Amino acid sequence: MVVVMGATGAGKSTLAKCLNRTVPAFQAGELTGEIEILGEVMLGQGVADLAGKVGLVSQDFEAQLFATNVVQEIAFGMEQLGVTSDDMRRRIPAALAAVGLEGFDGRDPSTLSGGEKQRLAIAATVALRPQLLVFDEPTTDLDPLGKLEIFAVLAAMRRQGDTLVVIEHETAAAELADRLIILSDGRVVADDEPARLLADVEFLEKYGVRPPDLSRVARRFELSAPLTSIEDAEARLRARYAFPARAEKVASSAAISTGSLGVPGAQAKSEPLIEAAGLDFYYDSGQQALRGVSLTIRAGEFIALIGQNGSGKTTLAKHLNGLLRPLAGQVRLAGEDVRELPLNRVAHDIGYVFQNPDHQIFAATVLDEVAFGPRNLGFVSGEVAQRVAEALDAVGLVGLEGEDPFLLSKGHRQRLAVASLLAQRPQLLILDEPTTGLDYFEQRRMMDLIARLHAQGMAILMITHSPWVVAEYAERGVLMREGRVLFDGPLLDLLLQEDLLASAHFRSPEVTRLGKRLGLAVGCVDDLAAEVAKLIPGK
Amino acid sequence: MPLFLYIERRSLLHRLHPTVKVFSMACFFVAAFVSEQPAASLPLALGIAALIHSAGAWPNVRRLRIIFMLVFVMTFAVWTLFYRGGEPWVRFGPAAISPTSMRFALGMAFKLVTFLGVGVVFLSTTKIEEFAYALTRVGMPYKLGFTMTLAFRLVPVFIDAAATVVQAQRCRGFDFDQGNLLQRMRRYVPVIVPVFMGALRRADGMAMALEARGFQSPKPRTTFERYEFTWRDAAVMASSLSVAALYLWLWQAGWTRVG
Repeated sequence: MVVVMGATGAGKSTLAKCLNRTVPAFQAGELTGEIEILGEVMLGQGVADLAGKVGLVSQDFEAQLFATNVVQEIAFGMEQLGVTSDDMRRRIPAALAAVGLEGFDGRDPSTLSGGEKQRLAIAATVALRPQLLVFDEPTTDLDPLGKLEIFAVLAAMRRQGDTLVVIEHETAAAELADRLIILSDGRVVADDEPARLLADVEFLEKYGVRPPDLSRVARRFELSAPLTSIEDAEARLRARYAFPARAEKVASSAAISTGSLGVPGAQAKSEPLIEAAGLDFYYDSGQQALRGVSLTIRAGEFIALIGQNGSGKTTLAKHLNGLLRPLAGQVRLAGEDVRELPLNRVAHDIGYVFQNPDHQIFAATVLDEVAFGPRNLGFVSGEVAQRVAEALDAVGLVGLEGEDPFLLSKGHRQRLAVASLLAQRPQLLILDEPTTGLDYFEQRRMMDLIARLHAQGMAILMITHSPWVVAEYAERGVLMREGRVLFDGPLLDLLLQEDLLASAHFRSPEVTRLGKRLGLAVGCVDDLAAEVAKLIPGK
Repeated sequence: MPLFLYIERRSLLHRLHPTVKVFSMACFFVAAFVSEQPAASLPLALGIAALIHSAGAWPNVRRLRIIFMLVFVMTFAVWTLFYRGGEPWVRFGPAAISPTSMRFALGMAFKLVTFLGVGVVFLSTTKIEEFAYALTRVGMPYKLGFTMTLAFRLVPVFIDAAATVVQAQRCRGFDFDQGNLLQRMRRYVPVIVPVFMGALRRADGMAMALEARGFQSPKPRTTFERYEFTWRDAAVMASSLSVAALYLWLWQAGWTRVG
């Protein structure tokens, strides 16, 4: 099992596509050099010729499913390759078992969750019995538990002796691998044992890979050998510093000293911007998406809305600005019922950045894209120009006004989407998974931008699956499961409740779990270092 | 989204050979098409109702009940008023009601509801894959049949995407309901462009994923489902054919017509 990592544009996907010939078959360009796979030179082979030998699973699971039920989906590839019906009947259950989808046979793929869809795409490829399996960011759109499910599948395949090439942004995948390769600007900059590379924090950061928490802890506390687990880290830190005894369990961050993130202070007393009360919502299918949800958002808050795929996060967010209307309950914006307010007025106060920037980008230039909102709100051209300039400045896209938005990178398009809503100067910015599909550099840039907006007084509601993003940036946490709010309060209180989080498919960052074992409430490595410093008398 | 009507069951109709299903559907369409008289179209409608019952497809009829009722009521009302023929009872300007127009209207209403019913029976008992298989069996190239099934799968995906785009643009203060028709048409640009670009990206991704799974492989293709032609299929085929033949004969003899 080889894991390939690196920043966006490093050439990871292109490398993966070369392995099954989708490059150069689907991409104009020039390919030189030779690829030899399983002892065969690939020159002149077509993608379909290789289908039985090399399997490629990509991150876009929606684009990999073609059939109307799970069994047909898995059969599809085998039908193309002339596998006999009897053989298919043996291979299909085996493929379903390999990814843990036993009993899903007759299901319509469109009714599966994201993690299940991705596992189905893997099963459909595994059934072809390729000798080499290539995964191109297979967990990008999944919640933390969904990611772990996929990693477990990969680990099981590796144990069976399958050959895997996995492109990932998550270091958790690299920890399972035999080899880790880091690409940068189309070149291999490292090819080594994962443990060695993952311990080198500066090196990883330089190439756009987020270093594992434990590597950062080891470096911060200048521990000589790499940390192998949270237990190992706890033992090594306890050996060095006098922590409270283990018996004193951390129940709530209120009971122990909180880190820099703490409880939302003065803002808690400010006027409510949005009050949602008793919201019930049903999908067309009759499934209930919200069950009596209430949520109050005050000016200047920074809220992380978390919970598994399908728990109702996006549905709730879409109620806050009246995109969806509840069957029961009410949403009030500055005291007025959102349903009664004209569209303009709501758009004026609330900016909503959708998960996929491509759902909103349509204009011919960056400038027109950002100006669209202010123009709709009826501002005169001078005012529009000023708002556009300000918004582009905030997201760091000044100088690209004349560019075609469709030619920008994903990170730029994401920032453009934020800018186009900033130009409305909302009091509340709602962001649905603003860091999905971005590399670590871009994620940092995006989150620092959001943190700046928050520092200027904008309220932020962010839906995300990323534990470190939540822990480092948010102040208040709202946890949802099956259409209900399970928790609403100071973020660190939430991050310490591991069982509750696990029930909603979420996991605190490693450093928070380590801190908890040490009797500390921390969201990031800096917090941990600050807390530890307090323990040392005389320092 | 009532696009997929397939109901997972093992009824006799479900188990028929896909080609027989398509053939029988065609036979019933022909029979319905040539019936004008209620006396001809009512028995056919009742026959289809029996098929719906045996296929367990009533939930789909319930889902589509508004369409069924609308089609029946509208057809009956319009033809009652505008069918010319017979001695009128009442006149309203160009419209008139006569016993003949009412009989014709009732026949038409049964006929259209029968069309719908046949469609419901077929879609409730036939997977899209089976439909494509049947089409390739009667001579359609495999790729064309497959493209059709893919289209069925993608329609809901694109409807979803369009709904999301509309919401995203509403968040930017975009109001569809302003201005005259031309302005409104132009207003759809912010929706059409993202949906279209998304479709292109999706098509690109799908093309790669399809080939990666062996689509266009030079090897001879197999099918997972084994569809065997049994005596049941033969019997159903013969019955459907006789129904079509009977109605064609009645039509030829002029008995299915009104007036």
